Amino acid sequence: MAKDKNQIGGSWVDLALPEDFPELYTEERAEEEEEDTEEAAKDRAVKCSPTLLRMLKAAESRWTPHFRDKAEPSELWLKATEAEALKTNMKIQFNDQQEEFNKLPTKAGPRPLSHSVSQSSPDTFSSVGSVSSEDESPPQEKPQKTSKGLTDFCIKNIKQAPFGRKEIDIAQQGMPSLMILRKRAGGEKPLAGAKVVGCTHITAQTAVLIETLAALGAQCRWAACNIFSTQNAVAAALAEGGISVFAWKGESEDDFWWCIERCVAADSWEPNLILDDGGDLTQWIYKKHPSLFKKLKGIVEESVTGIHRLYQLSKAGKLCVPAMNVNDSVTKQKFDNLYCCKESILDGLKRTTDVMFGGKQVVVCGYGEVGKGCCAALKGLGAVIYVTEVDPICALQACMDGLRVITLSEGIKHADMVITCTGNKNVVTREHFDRMRSGCIVCNMGHSNTEIDLTSLRTSELKWHRVRPQVDHIIWPDGKRVVLLAEGRLLNLSCSTVPSFVLSVTAATQALALIELYNAPAGRYKQDVYLLPKKMDEYVASLHLPMFDAHVTELTEEQAQYLGISKHGPFKPNYYRY
Amino acid sequence: MSVQVVAAKMAEVELKDVSAGKALPAESPVTPTSEDKTLARNEPQKEAGSSAAAATSPTAEPSAKAGEGNRGLLTPSAAKMPQASALKHSDPQQNGGDAFVNRDGTVAEAPRMKKKKIQFADQKQEFNKRPSKIGRRSLSRSISQSSTDSYSSAASYTDSSDDETSPRDKQQKNSKGNGDFCIKNIKQADFGRREIEIAEQEMPALMALRKRAQGEKPLAGAKVVGCTHITAQTAVLMETLSALGAQCRWAACNIYSTQNEVAAALAEGGFSVFAWKGESEDDFWWCIDRCVNVEGWQPNMILDDGGDLTHWIYKKYPNMFKKIKGIVEESVTGVHRLYQLSKAGKLCVPAMNVNDSVTKQKFDNLYCCRESILDGLKRTTDVMFGGKQVVVCGYGEVGKGCCAALKAMGSIVYVTEIDPICALQACMDGFRLVKLNEVIRQVDIVITCTGNKNVVVREHLDRMKNGCIVCNMGHSNTEIDVASLRTPELTWERVRSQVDHIIWPDAKRIVLLAEGRLLNLSCSTVPTFVLSITATTQALALIELYNAPEGRYKQDVYLLPKKMDEYVASLHLPTFDAHLTELTDEQAKYLGLNKNGPFKPNYYRY
Repeated sequence: MAKDKNQIGGSWVDLALPEDFPELYTEERAEEEEEDTEEAAKDRAVKCSPTLLRMLKAAESRWTPHFRDKAEPSELWLKATEAEALKTNMKIQFNDQQEEFNKLPTKAGPRPLSHSVSQSSPDTFSSVGSVSSEDESPPQEKPQKTSKGLTDFCIKNIKQAPFGRKEIDIAQQGMPSLMILRKRAGGEKPLAGAKVVGCTHITAQTAVLIETLAALGAQCRWAACNIFSTQNAVAAALAEGGISVFAWKGESEDDFWWCIERCVAADSWEPNLILDDGGDLTQWIYKKHPSLFKKLKGIVEESVTGIHRLYQLSKAGKLCVPAMNVNDSVTKQKFDNLYCCKESILDGLKRTTDVMFGGKQVVVCGYGEVGKGCCAALKGLGAVIYVTEVDPICALQACMDGLRVITLSEGIKHADMVITCTGNKNVVTREHFDRMRSGCIVCNMGHSNTEIDLTSLRTSELKWHRVRPQVDHIIWPDGKRVVLLAEGRLLNLSCSTVPSFVLSVTAATQALALIELYNAPAGRYKQDVYLLPKKMDEYVASLHLPMFDAHVTELTEEQAQYLGISKHGPFKPNYYRY
Repeated sequence: MSVQVVAAKMAEVELKDVSAGKALPAESPVTPTSEDKTLARNEPQKEAGSSAAAATSPTAEPSAKAGEGNRGLLTPSAAKMPQASALKHSDPQQNGGDAFVNRDGTVAEAPRMKKKKIQFADQKQEFNKRPSKIGRRSLSRSISQSSTDSYSSAASYTDSSDDETSPRDKQQKNSKGNGDFCIKNIKQADFGRREIEIAEQEMPALMALRKRAQGEKPLAGAKVVGCTHITAQTAVLMETLSALGAQCRWAACNIYSTQNEVAAALAEGGFSVFAWKGESEDDFWWCIDRCVNVEGWQPNMILDDGGDLTHWIYKKYPNMFKKIKGIVEESVTGVHRLYQLSKAGKLCVPAMNVNDSVTKQKFDNLYCCRESILDGLKRTTDVMFGGKQVVVCGYGEVGKGCCAALKAMGSIVYVTEIDPICALQACMDGFRLVKLNEVIRQVDIVITCTGNKNVVVREHLDRMKNGCIVCNMGHSNTEIDVASLRTPELTWERVRSQVDHIIWPDAKRIVLLAEGRLLNLSCSTVPTFVLSITATTQALALIELYNAPEGRYKQDVYLLPKKMDEYVASLHLPTFDAHLTELTDEQAKYLGLNKNGPFKPNYYRY
């Protein structure tokens, strides 16, 4: 879900950053990757002009300079980075996104790279990422060969394979669900004959997914969905393992499309399934190889962005194969928003500020899934919590959960922390900043960097003082200091990490969606966008239960009959709210 | 306060069940005598009060009683409604457990989103059988948790009324000379008025609605015929509707839940009310008919709870549907009937399902049960929760509420679940997910909230440790296999009302609460705040249906529009002194929303 990131911003920022703040490496990387295009788009909109065309142009121009000049990270940083995805707010966001969509898809080729790094995309960077390769020549031009003589791949350096293998082994430990899936599939190969072409972040977690698909019988060809998120060593290990991978870290936009093209246009190999993250692969095939759709059994799309494109296509009647929206499955949604944010709010604040929570007065703006998670975590540490909400139903929920519902201007004077998770823009404005007490911590867990009105703080009377990576003190003329985290970008992406377990939920969902689409009897899925069937969703959950040593009760025949459901699920009607 | 009496009343009813069923003498201090008397007096034509208990039971909670198979035979013979009872009991006899569906369809009903839904299969069965037999169908009314069925202290006062004649036979007139109503005793009006005023204090949302709508009358011209529990809370609703411009005629949806003095106050206030406590089945339908069948007055809106009124109009006055703009239905049962009709293509007006609105569901299940689990256990057993090991069966809305409450009290909570998604939620919330037989030896309290049957069986009960408390928060009394405990080697000892000790030959004792019926209905109360949510939802649904432009609603069953749902919530926020943030124009535009809602897409899960 986090994948709304369409725009450019994310990727190029990535390029620049590491050099700037080397010490921050991991955090920033995560951030970079996660930065969303959406936000970038918004930024642009704010700064350049609201019209899309202009935005695009602006984006493009930015993009190029970037590449040329990697040296000015901080500004870029500000403009480009956004953290996007997660958050229920995503839903609220739709309108926007649609706009974006309507405009974007028309510009096919040189569109800015609109990939998303979703929180749940497998984009954690391992130490491998930092390995600086000495090899300067572009991978395309090098002859490459694995130890077994396979040459149908293109990566940075095949020699890193053993190292990548270790990374993959570590990731396997954190992704028990896929390992269970391999085991359960055992003899039968539910994906035998499947030819999957994929375009996702290429990380150790993805590698586990790819190898799982291979173990289930599928042939895979893979490209990266983000020019900067590839772990070269992992790609090498995959290639060495016999999978055709086309990706390296730091591709140019040309390289990016070249890789996708190589992935798709293989001699005597036609894909019958697409696994996409961001919709680029789908779009490429749609534009360049429409004939491939004849053989396609379906598309599995993970990002919000990609899903929107699919819905657009479907609405326009141009979608000619079934597509599966794995982003909105219950399990994935809960993990991306509620559970992930419940932990990362504490983690992020502790890492950056070492603040103590007990007795602190905290204002949480928004009581959606993210807000609920934040409040629960903070309440657990004894903070005094106030909530602001616009939706009366959510507001009533907050009341019933024992939280005071106020407007921000009422609570701002005595707040020690302000956390935004609304998905909205300008929730915390200059006026609020002016009234905060000294030492107040302001951070954003929401949708993008729009929630806190930063531009209003860039005035001459205020001094910005960077005290740590991701931590700025903003000093008022009277000596008051406000602590701003991650410059208003997503705290959970900038200052904390995404657990493998969350990525595991996503990967398992993707794998099951592929299996479902591939094995569905003809006619079950028409040319439309589908949600993952509830049964599959339940299966994803059940694959993760052994991690908790959890023992699910089984219905007896009699009970199943009494309830009128199958013993093996689905257990709930579709409209059940969980 | 009025609510507490509910519990007592419930208790009575259930006690009666017991006594009737098991032929135990009514040993509790709250014997049903007074009620029985009234009943007997009201309906002399019925049994002579000899088997009074038996008589009341079929009427009061028909299905509930019916459920206990052995008694099924007893009752009908005694009662003078052979057909009805035969019918009533036919289902139960086929399957002892199913009968309770009804009752709970009745009692538990609205609440429990999960259960109810899971229950569909059953209920459908019921439906399929029931509707075909019209007139003599057993009274399948529901006392939903959120129905307005609290009993006030006035109830007892009323019961002792000395009036022997049936209200139907009496000439009645209020102080203004209006005679178009039928209640027990108009003289109680003053007392009822006080009850209503108390209820008004606790239902700020309706009062706010009255105020907001003061100028315009959104229901001007509406002729609402209603069939709900007639209690002080309903009275507040009716008077609100009236303040909004509607004309109302009302009947009771349960033969036993009417507060006579409230009905009197309503009649005195000029409402045509046809209801008294302890109606016979005949009376029941007579009241509904009087309500509907008036010269020179045709209803254009229906507010129903249980679907009986709709059913009656459908069978007897199908022409009336031409003028009717819509039906608002609150109970699960009624909603199901409507869906049946709709499926069969026989629904000829739009209907609004208010039961499944987000706000109502959350309050009926999550919030209500979160409080009543502690309340119910404390009242009955005075147990201390800290450090106790508790296993909660089922992690739906009710289970989530129970677990949250118990965790807050410092209990060690285990969860059992069949649905892996809910199971994963339990894990992530920090509860150990186990199978019941893994922990049954060590737990101190077992709470069922699955909506399933035979979740706790004899085998489990045999392995429990001494003093283990077993109770049910779920859907019906099927969750605990109580029948398996009725064996000669086990001794049952009633230690308090709603509390049984079951003693094993080795002297081990198990504490069974409410005989496996719903703890939250039997041993705790429904807060007026929850009833207020329901009433407000109903009022808004009526307004929506009445004012909807032609064509917005077709002949189908609709959910309350999200915007109305949000409005219900917003009307209750002042109670918490909660201050809602407003979107600025700029923000609304950014989000692509209207400033005033709806704020979420329909599929949002809250």
